[in-house]
Amino acid sequence: MSLQLLLGNDAIALGLVQSGCGVATAYPGTPSSEILAGVVKFKKKLGRDIYTEWSASEKVAFEIALAASWSGLRAATAMKQVGLNVAADPLFSAAYMGVVGGFVIIPCDDPGPLSSQTEQDSRLLALAAKIPVLDPSTPAEALAMTRAAFELSERYRLPVMLRPTTRVCHAVQSVEVNNVAPYLAHPAGFKKDPQRFAATPVFRLKLHRELNDKLQAIETDFISSPFNYQLPSAQEAISHSKLGIIASGVACTTTQEVLADLGVSLPLLKIGTPYPLPRKLIMDFVAQCERVIVIEEPDACIELQIPDRTCVSGRLDGTIPNAGELTPEVLTALLAEALTQAGVAVPPPPDDSALAGLVQALKIPPRPPRLCPGCSHRSAMYTMKHTFGPQAIYPGDIGCYSLGTNIRAIDTFVDMGAAVTMASGFYQSSKITGDKRPIVALIGDSTFLHSGIVPLANAVHTGARFVLLILDNHTTAMTGAQPTPANDYTADGGLATRVSIPDMVRACGVSFVRVADPYAHAPFEQLLKEAQTYAHSPAGGVAVIIADRPCVLYDRSPITANPIPVVVTEECDGCRYCVEAFECPALVLSPDRSRVDIDYRICVDCGQCIDACYKGFIVPKEIAIG
Amino acid sequence: MKIILAGIGGQGVVFATKIISHAAMARGESVLASENHGMSQRGGSVQAHIKLGGSVSPLIRRGTADALIAFDHTEAIRNLPFIRAGGGVYVNSLNGLDPAVMGRLQELGVSVFTLNADACAKELGSPAVTNLVVLGFAASHGGLGLSVDELKESARALGPAKAVELNWKALEIGASQ
Repeated sequence: MSLQLLLGNDAIALGLVQSGCGVATAYPGTPSSEILAGVVKFKKKLGRDIYTEWSASEKVAFEIALAASWSGLRAATAMKQVGLNVAADPLFSAAYMGVVGGFVIIPCDDPGPLSSQTEQDSRLLALAAKIPVLDPSTPAEALAMTRAAFELSERYRLPVMLRPTTRVCHAVQSVEVNNVAPYLAHPAGFKKDPQRFAATPVFRLKLHRELNDKLQAIETDFISSPFNYQLPSAQEAISHSKLGIIASGVACTTTQEVLADLGVSLPLLKIGTPYPLPRKLIMDFVAQCERVIVIEEPDACIELQIPDRTCVSGRLDGTIPNAGELTPEVLTALLAEALTQAGVAVPPPPDDSALAGLVQALKIPPRPPRLCPGCSHRSAMYTMKHTFGPQAIYPGDIGCYSLGTNIRAIDTFVDMGAAVTMASGFYQSSKITGDKRPIVALIGDSTFLHSGIVPLANAVHTGARFVLLILDNHTTAMTGAQPTPANDYTADGGLATRVSIPDMVRACGVSFVRVADPYAHAPFEQLLKEAQTYAHSPAGGVAVIIADRPCVLYDRSPITANPIPVVVTEECDGCRYCVEAFECPALVLSPDRSRVDIDYRICVDCGQCIDACYKGFIVPKEIAIG
Repeated sequence: MKIILAGIGGQGVVFATKIISHAAMARGESVLASENHGMSQRGGSVQAHIKLGGSVSPLIRRGTADALIAFDHTEAIRNLPFIRAGGGVYVNSLNGLDPAVMGRLQELGVSVFTLNADACAKELGSPAVTNLVVLGFAASHGGLGLSVDELKESARALGPAKAVELNWKALEIGASQ
């Protein structure tokens, strides 16, 4: 037994390794990315033989893990919540077919959203797919629930969802870790069972009924689950309380602390098994109170399953806000309101409105994330905008280059791979509307391999005409430089076979394929113009340019081999063009806004900003001195 | 003890969180902290909430933080609403906090300590240790409930080995300001 400081995602990873997980897969996505990295770290530390894979997509990751489960191995797959949308196809099917070795699915939700396209609730997908959910509220609980998830999965032979949120995934907690005896399995390998694993519709009906029975049994089990309990303890006599709370996840723990700060003790039922909801437990609790508020995030899941909601408030009646994170401030305000309504006196909130007002009056500008100094995406997008102008349509995609919105180089991002499809859709629509604007789509290497290939084949087949810029920085950068199929290494540093992106593009039938360095502005611009000409020529179609330069954060060697230190000359008139159109964080407007200077603490000497001043006020240092 | 760390992505807020958490755990305190990961590394605003001594929620409510430690002046201002009456604010700043807020902070009994940590880090030849300079400063003023020696031990344990000497110098120079 030892006390360890564990990131929530590390706690989950440790739980997977301690549970003898044989295969762990994932596609990177905040807030989930540290889970697979954690499995790699702990398997090395504890000397376990586990197959770990960064898969090309979440659907791929899910299916690889599913095959492992059917081979008798314990398996797990992790992703962010929108990644579950990609894995939803195999999820719904797998729920019917069941598992052999325990199979744990770990989609990480992001209330806020802090860094996602939606605030969707993965528990609702589990409800629709009919698999049980465990919902941890701390890293320590996540560790315990990971182990329990495998047992539950094997007892009922179906996949189990472990659903943490950002404030669990990225929380750090001192956790008591006991050294569990390694789980010993003797998997026999895949055992054929066509009525299950290759079930045709008539057998699917049978499997569905079987699944419904499993859920009923699980619901009964959950009534006595140690993850559901009442605070204060059930021993205290709370015969009839005006206000009771049912809560889960971080929202529950924050509620506990807010109530403690308000100096109020209310009956609180903590639910760690939100689906299938142990309804008897819930209704027994509801019967004890005049009014119950359900506090969960990011959506209503527990609340929806409560059979009689006459005295129940929550998201459905607007008591709990239906968007945004349930922060301590939000919960304080609504609990204070509810308590006041119930005739309980509450102290005023601790935050000082005068101070808040003064801070607001200072109008501190927001500090959104930006591309790093030296980022090759910035160079590519800056030249692209210079070539096609602000009027062109720029369908974008998901990755670091999404931050191109800051320089208005991205007009849309919807979901993974949509850059290519939206470009096709805009093109086909433009033939009807008569819109003549150029269409230039942007997608990263990892995103392209994830879900850009099928849209590209579709675009070629349907004769779409647009320029596609594949921004190849040789990694999945935003999430921490995980390998893609185009890299030659695996999750645990082993060797991998490289898949060629140019070959893939040609295989889709594209005739115009060029690879170019986005740092070389003039040739890059020339190439973009050629691509556009080609796209609209009689025999034209999709034109692909692959902007090839490694991510500056993870491989600075091309720059250190040829550094170009720069200075901003005395003549700079503070017109701010460079800061707004190029937006390198190392280009800083002086406090009096009279000029721009280089922040040499973060400048990487890439020299790319020289072209960002059309007046010639940014020059190589050697020229300025000489 | 409730501590807010604030800075810009890339300034090492996550590492500073580890240093404090590790030191607190070493002296037997329970730790629960909340970090920013992912996109925040791209130069955006970054915050960490650190709660020592038996919390269940990783989030600190406005007006309840015992200490606000900021590696950047602007981020200090942005996060001022978190400090409680009587708390302590420790900021890397060239010219001190804006007079507009100093008055109210004084009324609330909030102690404000500023230092030019960037200059100290520059002296050591590494802008990357600005965060540790500020931590050393805060510790020596009693803001963390942890001593500089405890932070040094933490830095030694968390490594890497070749960075320890520089990290120690950063903590020490901050403590001497």
